[in-house]
Amino acid sequence: MIRWSAVKAFIVRDLLEVFRSKEVMFWMIAWPIFWVLLSAYVFVPPSTEQPMTLSVGVINYDVGSSSPMSGERFIEILNTTKYKDVKLFKVKIYENETKMIEDIRKGRLDGGFVIPKNFGEDIIIGQAKLRVYIGVRDIRSAQIIGAILRGFVEGMNKAISIRKIEETLKYVPENISEFIRSWGLGIAMPINATFIEVKPKVFISRATIVGWFTIGALGMSMLYSGLSIGSLMVVGEKDRGTLKRLLASPMTSTEMLLGKTLAGLIMLAIMSLLVIIAGYTLCGARIVWNPTKLEHWLVPLLLMVAALITIGLGSLLSLLARSVRGASALSTVLGLMLSFFAGIWFPKWMMPTWMRIFADVFPATWAIDAIREIMVYEAEVGEIIHKVIGSIIAAIIAYGSGIIAYRYLLRKYAEV
Amino acid sequence: MEIALRVESVFKKFGDKVAVNNVSFEVKRGETYSLLGPNGAGKTTLMSMIAGIVEPTKGKIEVLGGDPRERRIRAMIGYCPQEPVVYDELTGFENMMFYAGLYGLSGQEARSRCKELLELVGLMEYSKKMVRTYSGGMKKRLSFAIALIGNPALLMLDEPTTGMDPRVRRLVWELIEKLKEEGKTIILATHYMEEADVLSDRVAIMDSGRKIVEGTPEELKRKYGPKAVINIELAEPKLEVVEIIKQYASERRVVFDGNVLRVHVDDPDEVTPKVISELIRHGCKLNTLRISRPTLEDVFLKLTGRRLIE
Repeated sequence: MIRWSAVKAFIVRDLLEVFRSKEVMFWMIAWPIFWVLLSAYVFVPPSTEQPMTLSVGVINYDVGSSSPMSGERFIEILNTTKYKDVKLFKVKIYENETKMIEDIRKGRLDGGFVIPKNFGEDIIIGQAKLRVYIGVRDIRSAQIIGAILRGFVEGMNKAISIRKIEETLKYVPENISEFIRSWGLGIAMPINATFIEVKPKVFISRATIVGWFTIGALGMSMLYSGLSIGSLMVVGEKDRGTLKRLLASPMTSTEMLLGKTLAGLIMLAIMSLLVIIAGYTLCGARIVWNPTKLEHWLVPLLLMVAALITIGLGSLLSLLARSVRGASALSTVLGLMLSFFAGIWFPKWMMPTWMRIFADVFPATWAIDAIREIMVYEAEVGEIIHKVIGSIIAAIIAYGSGIIAYRYLLRKYAEV
Repeated sequence: MEIALRVESVFKKFGDKVAVNNVSFEVKRGETYSLLGPNGAGKTTLMSMIAGIVEPTKGKIEVLGGDPRERRIRAMIGYCPQEPVVYDELTGFENMMFYAGLYGLSGQEARSRCKELLELVGLMEYSKKMVRTYSGGMKKRLSFAIALIGNPALLMLDEPTTGMDPRVRRLVWELIEKLKEEGKTIILATHYMEEADVLSDRVAIMDSGRKIVEGTPEELKRKYGPKAVINIELAEPKLEVVEIIKQYASERRVVFDGNVLRVHVDDPDEVTPKVISELIRHGCKLNTLRISRPTLEDVFLKLTGRRLIE
């Protein structure tokens, strides 16, 4: 029968020791919060929420034109075009093409326009030419910059076409003017598409990215701390010379295991709560917890499951360590490796394919991913249930194996 | 009288090394029984087996009528190992409360018991200080108090005064005497012959994992010790005289410790003048001379040919 006074004694002792140790407090509480802050303000600075402003160069050879669509007017439109109240272009005037292309190559400009002589005149009487340069830093930025510049030119085309048709209609008899308008618009824009923005339930924004990193920092700290808690369970007592005295007392090994595990879970729960609060309040992370939704109650369960997996793995790890120093070093090295490989801290899509295989099968990643999907992306039970069940089964196996290692070590060190 | 502890043909091996070799003895309730022997004699291993921490390779141990590995039996044993068993990052009181929890005490009952024991070992005024600020002697006293937390019927003290200054050692001896008066059964492992002599009802002398002899201190001294010991303090150490003095000693037993010669003799009246004149003849200056009764150290020397503390 379990005597709760013994279990409580271990919980109180472990918590007192942890809260009095500046080193442990730093690694368990301050470090993960520091990570969240760093990630939020270095990797995802607040400016990423705003639309892009492209730096473009312009060479205007259409100087002094009297046309309403002269080179100067084109530059004026570039300077005043806005998307969601943010200027779309930052314009820099160049005298020659070579210098502008050099600046595009150096990455100082995202693109450039060359407005030829008679640009304004040509628009009025026929078709004007315009040369557009797109800076290709990488495939993605080329796609984005190209789309913005093409979109701008197409918008200009559309506006000018409509204006030209309206001007032409002034000279057409009224009885056929509607027909000519439709016919003209059909030539200018055979497809008149309407673009409607649909906001998904959760879209990629700074808040969701910071939310992703907040749960990542929580998962990473859980890896380090859980491994350390598990690996020091027996070795810690052995090194302090208290193990034999504990074994001589009427407590059972189960009570000690329970006490130490519950103390570890409480510490990890406090750490998780503080990391989430820091991510939400200090960094603007999107973290949602709604007690009226069933899936949100899975979060504490999943946190416990992730903690038990890491504590169990830590206990297995202590089979390889003979001292506190050895166990701490092993858990730090493993924690560091896992933070790269497990897909908890570094997003899986950034990893090479072979590395993703490990992240896909590592059970602590399932639990952390499920927490992330619930709290950041508001996933529903059906979307994450396979991860929840998988991680619970993994926790039973990992913690169960940890218990076997724990009992083996107790027997081994009692004899030393 | 009821038997508190029965050790029957106990044998313990660690790999190839035999730590305890066929040891048997019985301890009655209320008795203080000492295991006396040098370091490595197997005392601590034997204590670990009695406390239920380690299983014997062969043989049987019965404590207070049961197996010491049973929880109810361990609850009746108070064990104070050789090294302090305290947590540096807790206060003295918190350490006591932690162990109180392990013995099933909680709330007011635990707090009162902890205070009472801290008072007993003279640590009450330091009870709120972190144990890392305690001296070695204070940590040992705290470990001693922890051993008493469950109000044990059998108290096991492994080298309880090692590393303590004489004043604190006296204090611990007084505590043990007090516990004896309360009727507690005490098992004491020590390599201090004076400690075993003063505190024990019976002593088992151990060496190399074996129990060599057992009896009351007086019985052992009478049976295995010389009739008397001449203790001569020389002004300066002179090793070469030891061989000359041996011819006058019983079974040629002479111990030279610093400046002090201890000569085992059966007839002190006859031998003492001869030893003195021999020393003077060899140019030795004598500071003091005392004829004393043999000690357990002398018994150990006679039985093993070695000293307890080399």
